[in-house]
Amino acid sequence: MNSQTISLFRFLMLGILSKRLLVLVAVMVLGAALSGSFIHELAIIDGAAIQSAFVADFLRYGLALLALLMIATSVAEDYESRQFERLLTMPLARWQYIAAQSLVIACLCVFLVLPVMVLISIYSNPALGLYWAVALWLELFLLGLLGMLAILSLEKIPQAVFFALAIYLLAKLSGLITLMLAESVKLSEGSVTSRVIEYIFSAILYVLPGTRSFAENDVFFNSLDLMALLGEQLLGVVVYALFILVVCLVDFYRKEFNL
Amino acid sequence: MRRGERPILQLPRFLVFAFMLLLAAQVTWHHYSQQHLENRYEALGTPFSAAIYGAMAMGSEQLLGHLLALRLQLHDSQAGQHFNYNLIDYAVLLDWLDRITVISPGTEYPMLLASRVYTTTRDQQRLRLILGFIQRRFEDNPQLHWRRLAEASLIARHRLGDLGLALEMAAALADQPANVEMPVWARDFKFLLLADMNELESAIAIIQALLQSNAVHDPDEKRFLEQKLLEFQQKLFDSQQSAYN
Repeated sequence: MNSQTISLFRFLMLGILSKRLLVLVAVMVLGAALSGSFIHELAIIDGAAIQSAFVADFLRYGLALLALLMIATSVAEDYESRQFERLLTMPLARWQYIAAQSLVIACLCVFLVLPVMVLISIYSNPALGLYWAVALWLELFLLGLLGMLAILSLEKIPQAVFFALAIYLLAKLSGLITLMLAESVKLSEGSVTSRVIEYIFSAILYVLPGTRSFAENDVFFNSLDLMALLGEQLLGVVVYALFILVVCLVDFYRKEFNL
Repeated sequence: MRRGERPILQLPRFLVFAFMLLLAAQVTWHHYSQQHLENRYEALGTPFSAAIYGAMAMGSEQLLGHLLALRLQLHDSQAGQHFNYNLIDYAVLLDWLDRITVISPGTEYPMLLASRVYTTTRDQQRLRLILGFIQRRFEDNPQLHWRRLAEASLIARHRLGDLGLALEMAAALADQPANVEMPVWARDFKFLLLADMNELESAIAIIQALLQSNAVHDPDEKRFLEQKLLEFQQKLFDSQQSAYN
């Protein structure tokens, strides 16, 4: 059973690794390094910290988008080439596809965070480089799983990428949205509609990843307990990743394929 | 061998006339384009509340605070031109500095902008406002901001000519409890203010004291201070030479 999953993982991994991916990562790293140097030149003090933090965030969002596109494209190609129908004629369970795809996401994220670790270690220090690499891996893995869920359900790349990005940004901007809704309740003098919307959003927040599930950029400016931060993030990511995987399985097992 | 020159009056009349006319045109054009440029200055907008910026930062509050500080620092450079600080509304500027301080607690950037950049204004009222900001924000974190207050005190003494305010700031430094780590000279700052030194001599003294007491840890700031020290020493030397001559 395990060897079949590993074989499927290797097959899917070969499909995702390409020269194009390598070039895109290289371009992104170069862009981050150049814009980071520019920011460093502008700063009067704390130039190194600002540069590291900027490069870290630049690569965080750039690689998040890249990871999402790669995963969505990979699964979408399986749909288009009727790969699922072929796989299901083999002695393979559906969960093995999800397991193999999760392993692909994990490996892809390792590949993406390695240059980030090197760059951040150069700009700040190896401890911060290592922290950011691990924290970013967790964040990208979570987003990758979200992307997988989106493409499995929606089957179309644009919709899937949009949906996964929307969830990601909604989680990240939850503070701002909560603030705006609270203001709207205040401005409308506590109207029922505003209160209902506020209530619905606060309910939605329960099924979004918490803000602690993401890498903490403030580490570049303040001396924070990196291990404690990682521990908290790991816990949040494990719980949410398992939740997403179960939703993926439910969705995938419900799908009908014409064999 | 120097070539001989004909007197201006011997030149063709139309050439002299053309020269005068074009000189006047150039002066007029420059005058109006300067006015036009000042009209093109885009005033500093009012900042949002700190809570909004905090929520917009998507978890990178410190980075956003520093990027806002950089944006503020570059505000006087618009359309490839450097605008005079007198065009900036210092009340709005102080709002921005306050906001950045709240978004990125523990940063020195807004205080540094206040003490090194925005104190270069010649307008006494604006200078008083910015010194007031430094005096007020110093209380947030005396350990982090004592150097800014020392610089502000020197500026109050020499540029504002308000010895009372300068001594008040020096007293705030001296009154800090022993757990606030700062060199002895900073606690005795009033002696530097009362000494018979001009602005350049005082600035050189404070920079040398800062560098020698290892109070500056940021390499960028250290480099900046070393450059300033050389610049001030050169200026002092030049002024002494011209006085001697």
